[in-house]
This record gives sequence, structure tokens and C-alpha cells, in this order.
Amino acid sequence: MTVRAVADSSVGRVDGMKTLAKSEFETLIDGLIDDDPRSVVGPQRRSGQYVFEELDSAADLALEYDLTALSPKKYLLPQYEQLLTYERTDGEYEMHAGTDTEGVIIVGVHPYDLAAIEHLDKVHIDTMGDEPYRKRREDSLLIGLTMQSVAPESFAASMGAATTDSGYDLLVTDIGDRFVVDIGSFEGNELLADLDTHSASHSEVQEVRRIEDDLRGRFERELQFPPEELPTLLAEHYDDMEFWESYAEQCLSCGSCNMVCPTCYCFQVETVRDLGGDSGYQQRSWDGCLLEEFASVAQGENFREEVAQRHRHRFMRKGLYVYERYGDVSCVGCGRCTRHCVADVADPTDVYNDLWEATNA
Amino acid sequence: MTERPRVAFFDFTGCEGDQLQVVNLEERLFDLVEVVEVVSFREAMSEHSDDYEIAFIEGSVVTAHDEERLAGIRENADVVVALGSCAAFGGINAIRNDQDFETVTERVYGDDADMIEANPEARPIESVVEVDATIPGCPIDREEFVQVVTGLIRGVEPTLPNHPVCVECKLEENECAFHRDEICLGPVTRGGCGADCVGEGTHCWGCRGMVDTPSEDAYTAVLEEHGLDAEEIVEQYQLYWGWQRPERATQEEAQ
Repeated sequence: MTVRAVADSSVGRVDGMKTLAKSEFETLIDGLIDDDPRSVVGPQRRSGQYVFEELDSAADLALEYDLTALSPKKYLLPQYEQLLTYERTDGEYEMHAGTDTEGVIIVGVHPYDLAAIEHLDKVHIDTMGDEPYRKRREDSLLIGLTMQSVAPESFAASMGAATTDSGYDLLVTDIGDRFVVDIGSFEGNELLADLDTHSASHSEVQEVRRIEDDLRGRFERELQFPPEELPTLLAEHYDDMEFWESYAEQCLSCGSCNMVCPTCYCFQVETVRDLGGDSGYQQRSWDGCLLEEFASVAQGENFREEVAQRHRHRFMRKGLYVYERYGDVSCVGCGRCTRHCVADVADPTDVYNDLWEATNA
Repeated sequence: MTERPRVAFFDFTGCEGDQLQVVNLEERLFDLVEVVEVVSFREAMSEHSDDYEIAFIEGSVVTAHDEERLAGIRENADVVVALGSCAAFGGINAIRNDQDFETVTERVYGDDADMIEANPEARPIESVVEVDATIPGCPIDREEFVQVVTGLIRGVEPTLPNHPVCVECKLEENECAFHRDEICLGPVTRGGCGADCVGEGTHCWGCRGMVDTPSEDAYTAVLEEHGLDAEEIVEQYQLYWGWQRPERATQEEAQ
């Protein structure tokens, strides 16, 4: 991983841009699939939706995708992860770190998901020192992709995440008959070494800029105010239970919004015992603050028993709590929660804009 | 509990599909009988003993005789486990609970209907005896069964997942059944099944029962939004929850 080193490295944005034929890009990906020991994954079409999945061939890439079901977070922080295994021999317990921390080559990551991973890096590497995450992240390569389609649920432009100039090893933009690739890291640059590329011309760079500018105007949903206002706005409305209850009445409390969120990282740990009783493993799996058990503790106390409290917590967390701790608003505007909410009450732009209007009407 | 507890299986009103799931453990059955001694299991062996510590009970309670027999098992056993949805919360048998009992028996037994002596309602075993652990599902999940047995032997407090099926659908990246214009009970049904039905291209019927606190009003609104009228909505709820749902409502009112 060279991601954050990039920002102040000499590999500047314009200098780092190369142009290559689409067939050359396919050669690159097929070469990685054949030769790199790591898995190569990318967006593919699967029964009615797009998902990041292991690639058999570059031809399977669905680069036209708007939004995948889960974000590539699942490769860095898997849904289920064995943390340790234990075994008892002669009355003594022995424990072993049980997790598989191999890196992954992720192809076709949109800017909002790159932004989400940068945020997760801050939390897991810079702050919590989460070893399985750090190892996977450092061994992984991110090949970003400028969005070609915009999901109707997305508002990434409002969150400053429709485009990006950091967080990737390579960033690919389709300019029609060829790709312009921005080099974001030394490793990214190495990938291009054996390919037929040339330095992007001024007009090609201009075309990338034009596509990005155009993209920012293509979002159907938007936040009516700058996201920097969110922390203050939310703090003001913490006690406005009438507001939170009006949403919670329609909320199924099913946790889908948490599960599909690219920046949610809460987990639970459980012990799975083998029948014999002498061995087993501990596994962590994703948890979500909308779920009833999330804030329940020993002796049956539950700190957020009411749906309204949990509903509020989710929005507070994204726009205020995480900001207080890490300096980031932890919503990138991907729109997954909106897409997957069966009751249609998860859309952050609905909730945040309503709050804004209530304050500024 | 003893080092290798004696266990027995009993069937009440049900299809015996949950015990079949236990038999279907196949080679893992050998691991199982290393740690427990099976003393009664009509579906798998001919021997029987009334000396057991753990009783697994499949099926719901529908006759006075069922109630008596169940009370006897409870007296013999240290631990009673409800095996499958019928035993756990009435299950599919409770479809008939809101129908006229005479009509039901006539429809099923025709001219012999008056030979049938049964309670007007199918009920879970917890309505008759105290239950120590529950393994819901229609049928049960074999892995969950093994985990519950492991827990019981090791003295671990039994727990049930209390998240809805939606969580597992998201983790598995199943396409949402609602996105396929189907009705799905996943948002209010207890997970733990790996969302297999949705993963296989169909939808959730609610076989593991409702989560502890289902957002029923919000969910009913979703079904209305998808074009179901009141009767159709009740039909959805009635397939597995004919006992559980009214019982929940009564308990809520009492609080």
C-alpha cells in the first residue's frame, strides 16, 4: 500500500497520466489473473445486480456498473473472519492467529469506495492497529475507475466523493476509444511497465477533467448544504425525538443499511466450539447499530432499545460521532443504504435535508 | 450434566423432517454419538429408554394426550429442547388456528371427522412445559443443531440469533426478493439460516419465526406498498406464525 504516501510524492497527477488502448488494459488484467498469486476481483453482473467477485477474465469486467451490492470493503474486512483457532492438548490450551490476511487486487473501484477505504485506513491502521486489516490492505492493489454510470440513489458529488485524486494505485478513465490512467503509486507505475502506453497528451488530460466535471453534475440526489455543516446540524437535533421517531415508525430495523455501508465497520465476535470440546475458533462478523441486540449488554440492559434511538444513532454516527473522533464525515454518498432499504427510510439526503430545512426554514 | 449425556428424541404433530435433518448429519453422527448417548430415537433406532437427560422434541401440541405425554417427558429430562418450528412456535400446523375447527377436520378427514379428538389450536411445546433451548427452522439447520448440542454439553447458555434474514442476504449479496417484485418475510424473520431460500432465487416464508421485536406496522406498510390487501397480508403472516403472532400481540397488550 502506498496510498497515503502518494499525496506528497513526486508522482503528480498530470505527470502521472498515461494513455493506453483498451486491449492493453485487458492484457494487464489477464496477466495479473494468470501470474499474480493474489486474487484479482472486479465488478461483474450477477442475477440482477453488480457485485465485486473474483475474475476469470478481464472480459467479465462490468466497467459500466453504477453501484455494486457490497463495496470492496469486504476484501479488507471480510463479512466473516476467523480471528483465532484454539486447541487443548494435555489440558493446555494453545491459540493460533487464524485469519487469512492475503491481499487482493481490486479492479474497477469507484471514487466514493476509494474514499471509504481511505477512511477505513484511518480507523483501522492509524488508530486501532487492526492487524488483519493492515496486512490485507498493505498487500492489496486498488485499481480505481472513474464512474461511467451514476446510480439514481447516489449523491457522492455532494460528499466530495464523485471524483478523487488519491486512494488508488491506478485510476482508469474511459475517454471513448482508449483509457487514460492516472498513476497513484510506485506499485501502480510498475504495473504499466511492460505495456504499450504513452504519456497522456494535454487534450487527453483535458478530456479526463471534462468527464469528471460533467460527472459531478449527473447526480439525481444531493445534500442541500455543505457536508461540513453536518456535525453542528446533528448536534442541534439530537434531542428532537419527534423527528427521529417519524422516520423510525417506518423503519424495519433490519440492519440492511449498516450491512451495505462501505464505511460501517462494527463487528461482533463469537466462539464456535467443536463438538469434542477441545478445539474451536473465534470469528468476527459484521454487526449493525440498527439491530436490536447491537447495544445490549450483560444482565439484559439495552442502551438503544427503541428503533428511534437506533435510527438516530446511525445518522449521528455518520455525520457527527465519527467526525468528532477522526475528523471525517463518514458518509461517501454511494447510495447503497437507499437502494437496499425495503421501507425506503434510509436515504441520508432525505434525513439530512429535512433537518437542514427544519433549522433554516 | 454427565460426561456423555443420554439423549432422546420425541415426535409430536409434525412431519419428522427435523429428526430427518439429524439423521442427515451422516458421518457427523459418529462425532455426535461420541459425545452423547442416544437412548431413544424412533426415526433412527428401535431401542427405547426413559432414562435420559436431554429431550429433543419435534412437532406441536394438538391433543390432550400430547399434553400428558409432554409433561411426562419434561419430568424425565433435565433439559428440554424444541426441535424445529412446530415445537418452537407452532409452525405450519398453526395455520388452522384462526379457522373453524369443525370445517378443518371435515376438510381433512371427511366422513371420519367426528373420530378426531384434538384441541382447536396447534401450540408450541412451551405452552405446556418449560423449554430450555430452541432450534427453529423448517427444517432445522444441521449446523445449528450441532452447535446447540455442543453448547448444552459444555454448559453454554443457549442463545438464538435475533437479527432478521435481511442481514444474511446482504452479507451473501443476494438480490433482494422485493427487487424481483416478490414478497419476502425476511425483514421480520429470525436469521441464522444463511438466507438460503433467497440465495436460491426464491424468498423467505418466515420458517424460523419472527425476530424478538418485529417492526410489524412498518412491515405491513411495505407489503401494502407492494400491492397486498389486508387479507393477503394476513395470509403471509399466517403460514408459520399462526400461533406466534397473536401470542405476541397478547403479550404486548399485557405489558
